[in-house]
Amino acid sequence: MNLSYRTYYVFVRNMVSYKRFVVPTFLVSLVEPLFYLITFGIGMGAYMGYFGGKPYLYFLVPGVLVSSVMMSSTFECLYGTFVKMVHEKLYDSLIATPVSAEDAVAGDIAWGAFRGLVSGSLMMLVAVVMGIIPVSVPSLLLLLVLMVFIGVLFASLAMIVTSVSPSFDFFNYYTELIITPMLFFSGVFFPLDKFPAWMQKLSEFMPLTHAVKISRAVFSGEYRAKYLWNFLVIFVLEVVAFVIGVRMMKKRLIK
Amino acid sequence: MGAFITAKDLTKKYGDLTAVDGISFEIQEGECFGFLGPNGAGKTSTVKMIHCVSPVTSGTLTVKGMPAHIDNRAVKMMTGVIPQEITLDNDLTVTENLAIFAKFFDIPRQEAKKRIADLLKFVELEAKRVSKIDELSTGMKRRLLVARALLNHPKLIVADEPTTGLDPQARHLIWQRLRQLKAQGTTLILTTQYMEEAQQLCDRIVIMHQGKILREGLPLKLVEEEIGREVIEIRISKDEDERIIGQLAPFACGHERVGDTLYFYCRDGHDILKKLVELDLPNTWTRPASLEDVFLKLTGRGLIE
Repeated sequence: MNLSYRTYYVFVRNMVSYKRFVVPTFLVSLVEPLFYLITFGIGMGAYMGYFGGKPYLYFLVPGVLVSSVMMSSTFECLYGTFVKMVHEKLYDSLIATPVSAEDAVAGDIAWGAFRGLVSGSLMMLVAVVMGIIPVSVPSLLLLLVLMVFIGVLFASLAMIVTSVSPSFDFFNYYTELIITPMLFFSGVFFPLDKFPAWMQKLSEFMPLTHAVKISRAVFSGEYRAKYLWNFLVIFVLEVVAFVIGVRMMKKRLIK
Repeated sequence: MGAFITAKDLTKKYGDLTAVDGISFEIQEGECFGFLGPNGAGKTSTVKMIHCVSPVTSGTLTVKGMPAHIDNRAVKMMTGVIPQEITLDNDLTVTENLAIFAKFFDIPRQEAKKRIADLLKFVELEAKRVSKIDELSTGMKRRLLVARALLNHPKLIVADEPTTGLDPQARHLIWQRLRQLKAQGTTLILTTQYMEEAQQLCDRIVIMHQGKILREGLPLKLVEEEIGREVIEIRISKDEDERIIGQLAPFACGHERVGDTLYFYCRDGHDILKKLVELDLPNTWTRPASLEDVFLKLTGRGLIE
């Protein structure tokens, strides 16, 4: 791994280019959570009654927070990176400078994670405006930190997919067969305890399940040791995905 | 003091395909060295190994005494690359493109600002400072690539077909600039398919074909050695070959039939020209031999002696 501080320069490059897209992406990032919170939260929530003594929205918001991070960082490192690599040939010019392939890919992963953080924060803002507020300021800050970890995880996983992708169409396999099911089987919208045992077991293998558990606990200030396990799963997976993602991208970039 | 760049048995393979097949060469500091060859000859693969973006399969390659390697940031730090493809950052403006690149080279902001202003003047793009990339013509994009390659005040410039697809004005401007840089002592590596470009810029060239170096030398000397001084082209039907060759061959050092044309190559054109007048053939041209003739002879078609 030939990583250096130049990773940060690649991040800055993305930030400068982002200026031009910031309004549309903010709009999308705001509309999407509103859509979830209104349809599921208010519309469906009205039939759901109380979850653990609180309205359904309190159950829903922490899950939607982390899944919006997942979505943003995934899409950034699929489509965003692919365009930069194949269509714009940006990576080719990056690696001809002292920026290494590892720096370039890591910079893009950091960028994907940042986009996830932005989406998650906007979602949080919408929730707060709607009166669904994390239990304390430390809990809010902890949620933001969690978003960064989840962002890096899904950005790295997406990077692995991008590194082997011949075209845009290939991303559909990943988004439709892995990301979308994960959204519905990780306990974002409803508790998993009514699922048969094998399905519950299966959901343990989905990183989002662990993220949702931590998010929900932190949101309501329920800090228990058992959540360290969930965090460990995310952290280990993240490190592994990062290393593999960077290596595979390097292999694709350097011929 | 050894050579600036030394390659020995340099080989590049992509899977089963051998792009560069055990070539050796030396490039001196301050010279302009040209790689000529048709598409797929291995020129780009060779220069990519030199500027450390493509790993060497086998053989050795050193740049300023350092082994060329994809993680060799020191080589990249002192090299400016004008790539074959236009790899500008379309999301950024002209100035932003340069400013971000300056960052990649750790150039401090104030210094970068100064260099960007100078370079935009150098490539005559001052008026386009805040333009987006897709508002530029191809010629402007190429000039911006030149400016970008110079940000780090490189000791070595690698120009991979820098004038492909340009109109004559833009091409001549780029040649001017490259000559100016060479005059300042920058080492220049050029790949090209344009013989005129090689003749305009290069001190020394190699002609590559199918991954191998066929010839190496000074452009004009190569022409003289391989072809001679003059070329006579006669557009004439094949049926006449025997008669004309019989008459003219004794005065030429080689001849060749390609399509509708019969070529004679000679070192001294006097005698053959006299003979030509005697024969009074229509559709006959006499012109000085060029690098293009060498190129075609070596890479395209065999010369019948």
